[in-house]
Order: sequence, then C-alpha cells, then structure tokens
Amino acid sequence: MTRVQRETTTYVAIALACVAMLIWVIPTFTPPYPGYGASPALVPNVAVGLTLVMAVLELIRAGVGRWSGRARPPEDRQYPEDTDSGGFSQLGRLRLGHLARFMIPCALMLPAMEWIGFLPSSVLFLLVIQVLIGGVRPVRAVVLAVVVAGLMYAAVRYGFNVPIPGPYGW
Amino acid sequence: MEPILAGILDAISPVSLLFLLAGVAIGVAIGAIPGINGPMAIALFIPLTYYMSPLAAIGFLVGLNKGAFFGGAISAVLLRTPGTPEAAATTWDGYPLTKQGKGEKALRMALYSSVSGDFFSTLLLVIIAAPLATVALYMGPPEMFALISLALTVIAGIGTKSISRGLIAAGLGLLAGMIGTEPVTALPRLTFGIYQLESGLSLIPVAIGLLAFSEILIQLERHIGGASAEDSAMTFSKRPEDRYVSIKELLGSFWTMLRSSIIGVGVGAMPGLGAPVASFLSYDQAQKRSKQPEEFGKGKLEGIAASESANSSVVGASLIPLFVLGIPGNLAAAMLMGAFMIHGMMPGPLLFEQNAQLIYGIFASLVIASVFLLLIGRVGLRLFCRAVEIPASVLYPIVIFTCIIGAYLGQSSVFDVWVMLIFGVIGYFMRKLDFSYVAFLIGFILVPEWERSLQQVVISSQFEPFAFFTRPIAVILMLLTCFVIVKTFVGNLRKKQ
Repeated sequence: MTRVQRETTTYVAIALACVAMLIWVIPTFTPPYPGYGASPALVPNVAVGLTLVMAVLELIRAGVGRWSGRARPPEDRQYPEDTDSGGFSQLGRLRLGHLARFMIPCALMLPAMEWIGFLPSSVLFLLVIQVLIGGVRPVRAVVLAVVVAGLMYAAVRYGFNVPIPGPYGW
Repeated sequence: MEPILAGILDAISPVSLLFLLAGVAIGVAIGAIPGINGPMAIALFIPLTYYMSPLAAIGFLVGLNKGAFFGGAISAVLLRTPGTPEAAATTWDGYPLTKQGKGEKALRMALYSSVSGDFFSTLLLVIIAAPLATVALYMGPPEMFALISLALTVIAGIGTKSISRGLIAAGLGLLAGMIGTEPVTALPRLTFGIYQLESGLSLIPVAIGLLAFSEILIQLERHIGGASAEDSAMTFSKRPEDRYVSIKELLGSFWTMLRSSIIGVGVGAMPGLGAPVASFLSYDQAQKRSKQPEEFGKGKLEGIAASESANSSVVGASLIPLFVLGIPGNLAAAMLMGAFMIHGMMPGPLLFEQNAQLIYGIFASLVIASVFLLLIGRVGLRLFCRAVEIPASVLYPIVIFTCIIGAYLGQSSVFDVWVMLIFGVIGYFMRKLDFSYVAFLIGFILVPEWERSLQQVVISSQFEPFAFFTRPIAVILMLLTCFVIVKTFVGNLRKKQ
C-alpha cells in the first residue's frame, strides 16, 4: 500500500466512522434535550462534524489530484518509510505484528493479576517483555524482573497505601 | 504582599525544596534518555504527586520539565541523538565538539545557556503574569469560548504538516473528552452503558497511553534487531581548555543567549508553537548574525548557546497562557494543567485571587529550580552521561511497567490500565499516520471548559444567535480563528501546487 492509498483508506475509515457517529451513536448514547441550554448532542455533533468535513475535504483533494493527473512527489507514491526526525511526527510503516507482540502480554497481564496475583504476574510480564526486546542475559533478566516488581509492589502497597489488584494481596 | 511572602516561605520549606531537587535531578536523567521527554516524564510521574501537597507536586513536575529540557542536550551532544525534539539543533554543534574530545565543554555551554534562558523566562513570567491575569478576569464565557476555539485551531498545526489532520485529531480529542456525565443534564453521555465511563476518561491513563506508551512502542521498533546504546564510545579530553567554558567564551555568547531567550519567550508565550520552533529559529538567527557563519555545524559554542537558551526559555513562557488564561500553550503546560486539576484547582486568572499564595510559591519554586538545575548540572554532569548508556532491554521493560502502574495508581482501577493500553495503541496509529496527538490531548483537556463556556453563553443569552456579536473581543478572536484556518488551508494548497 502506498502512502496515498494508506491516507485515502484512513480518511474513508474516519469519514464512515463519523457518519456512524452522527446517525447512530450520538443520537442513541446522548441524553435528550432538557429544554434549556444547548442540546447535549450539540458539542459532540460539532466535533464529529468538524472531523467529517476535514476527512471529506482531504478525500476531495486526493480525488482532484488523481483526476487532474498531476504527478505527486516520489515520496508520496512510495511506501511510507520510518522517519527519525526527532520531532513529533513519526510517520512510518505500520508494524501490526510488532504492535501485537507487545500488546498481547500487556493485555494478558491484567487478567493474570486476578488469577495468580500481582507479584508473580509482574515478574512473568517483565521477563516476557525483556525476552521480546532481545534481552540475552538470563541472570540479569531475572534479577531485573524480581527487583522491579518487588520495588513497585512495595511502593504501591506501603508507599502509597493503594490496594494491590488481585485476590491475594501480593 | 502577604501572599507573596507566604508563598516564598512555602517554597523554601524543606519538603518543597526536596521534591523540587528530586524533580530537577530525575528530569535531567530522564531527558538524557533518547525518546523520553519532559511531557512524557510528567505524565509518568503525575500519579506519584497525588500524595504530595499542591506546591510540592507542581514544584516537582516543573522541576522535572526543566531538568528534562537540559537532559535532552546530554544525549544530543554525546550521542548525536536528541533526547527531546527541541534539542535537535543542539546536536549540530554539540556532537562535532564531542568528536573533538570537547563533549564536557559542550555540555557545560548547554548547561549555562539552558539556565540563563530558563531564568530569563521565569523572571518574565513572574513580572507579567499577575498584571495580565487582572486583565483576563474581564473575559466572560463568550471570550473564553472564542479563545479556546482559537487555541484549538492554532494547536491543530502542531506535530503534523497538515492542518486538516490536526483538526481531525483535535475533533477526536474533543469527542473523547465528552465521554462521561453531560454538564447540564448530569446524565451519562457516550458511555455505551459502561459504568466506569460515567465519570469520564481520566487524564492520566489517556496521557500516559498517548505520550509514553505509544512512544515506547515506536522506540522498540528501532531497538529490536538494532544496535543498543551500549555501543557508544566516548572520549573526553583532559585539557582544561577542552573541558571548561572560559569567561571570554561565555561573554562572547552573551548576545546570542539574550537574543535566543527573547525568541524563546516570544514563541513560548504563543499557544501552539513550542520549543523546537524556538530552538531552530534562534539557531538560524545566531548563524545569520555571526561573524563566522561557516563555523556553525562544526562545533561552534554559539550554536549550542542559541539552541539551548531558546528552548529552555520556552519553559517559563509557556506557563504565561496557562496561568493567565487557563490555556496550555504546549504539551508540558497541558500536563501541568492536568496536575492542577488533580489537586482541585483550575489554572486561569481566578487562581491569582483564590490561590495567590500557591501561585507565588510556584513562582519561587521556578526560580529555585533554575538554581538547582545549575547545581545539579555542574555536580552530576559526568554521572548523568551514564544515563544515556542504559541498554534498551533494561530501560524499556521498566518504563512499560511504570506506565501500567502509573495508570493504575490514579484511581486504583484496572479499567484505567485498559484505557491506557487502548490510548497507547491509538497514539501509535496517530504517530505513524501523522495525526497530531498533541492536538488530540489538548482538545481532550480543553473540551469541558469549552462546552461550559458555550452552555453559559447559550443559557445567558437565551438562544440569541447574535450574542457573540455584542462582545468585541469574542468577535475578534472568532475572526482570528477563521483567519488561521483559511490562511493555513491556502498555504497548504499553494505548497501542494
């Protein structure tokens, strides 16, 4: 997928989501008008409307550019490569496999805390993350996992007096 | 006079000083790590401040931000990797000096420039914030509504080349900020029947997800399979002239520092521009006005002075719109606004009336933080250099785990951790697709005030559609908003042609 295709897909997805919001989500999940002030649906409609207008404008611009046959700069025609500008923009390739690799352990850690307790699940989680990043020193990995999980536990439980998630209290 | 003295006394209490010192020290160490910047550090550490007094909390976070600005220069100078975006211009002259064995000298220059720029802008903030706040008190709901609209439009331009993408991000941020209880009817809105959403999305998990977690996901892409920071080898010359900045060299850069500080203050006081703009503008000016412009980029101390004094002077200046109008000018100010709200205060002109002692305490803390930055920078220069050498496989698991715990701590809620993870993914996509997460976050923070102002205008005017036109300042601000949108669109179209 080229950058132009990816952008077009994104704008189409945003526009469709906005239409769904305007037609179904906002009317269904917003309280009825109480008879005074602005309608509770006004500001959500403005926000979604603004988003929709911008997405449609971008689609029209892309369509006009394609229809007029104007050549786009080479970087717009190619697959977006990673930028390392050091600024806010980090335009680049979407690596869904990479994303899943780190999100799955994070998502599994939360129910794991309920099943096996905070400390064991935290140690396991830290070990898995280190392995996924490429930590190759097993002793260091175990020590780091135990120390970090232990320190966090102590800070949360005794430092901030916040209840620990999970059934066992550890 | 009494609140001023009481505020100063609060700021010099041992607890406040200790947290301020810790904030600056942690900020320097964190800023030195590539990929972790001031706002991200604030997002990570806000949960810890729940248990501090408001002054200690805000002092700690301000110190963190100030420290991170200088810390960004450490990796910029030593590794040619700016720890923060605003330190990018520092690499141009800092790294060549490191290659010549003069890394320590470059860092010293960065420190002195950072401290002088920071001190200059703090002083200006202290002098002009209170008088400006008195004027700002005359602004009613129509003006506030118009002003927030203008701020959102200007801020939409940050972090993306296209204002339409910025506005889309701001629109989505507004939408996310509207989840929760509707202010007039007090009934749930856009909660989809999930009871945890009835109090709205908490700022902390959203901010940690968007700022820290998504950044780590992207940083990991670069580290996996690549070389780690352990590979860097640094050599430092032991000759005094290569280690220290002489008085002559410091005086030679005086005008550059002053000019850059003024540019930084100007840029910082305007919502939406931010430290990277100040830093590049100042570097450009320094080069143009230098007698040896050809030496810039090859290890010129003035280049470091320009970049560092400009980006550090943004810190104090960006607090002017926050304290005076309650509008965050940049991401760090937005995070500080969140911290104020967590401690039960709303930044804005009323804060000077209702919490004058606290405000003057914060002002005093800002000045003291500059002194601490100088002390910590001088004492720990070599020590902080080691922070840039932490391997990715050690650093990132700790940061990811801290993100999870930080999101949980706020309300002791696992639901907030899910929110953080979801916004981490949203932030990843926003960054990769070049949508401004800054505009999203600022829209998210500002929407309650924006909607409240709108409701006040509608209720007080009883649906009079021309209510806005009876308030000249509101009309001017709305016209300015339209002007910014049209100008940016026309500019974009011309660029494309």
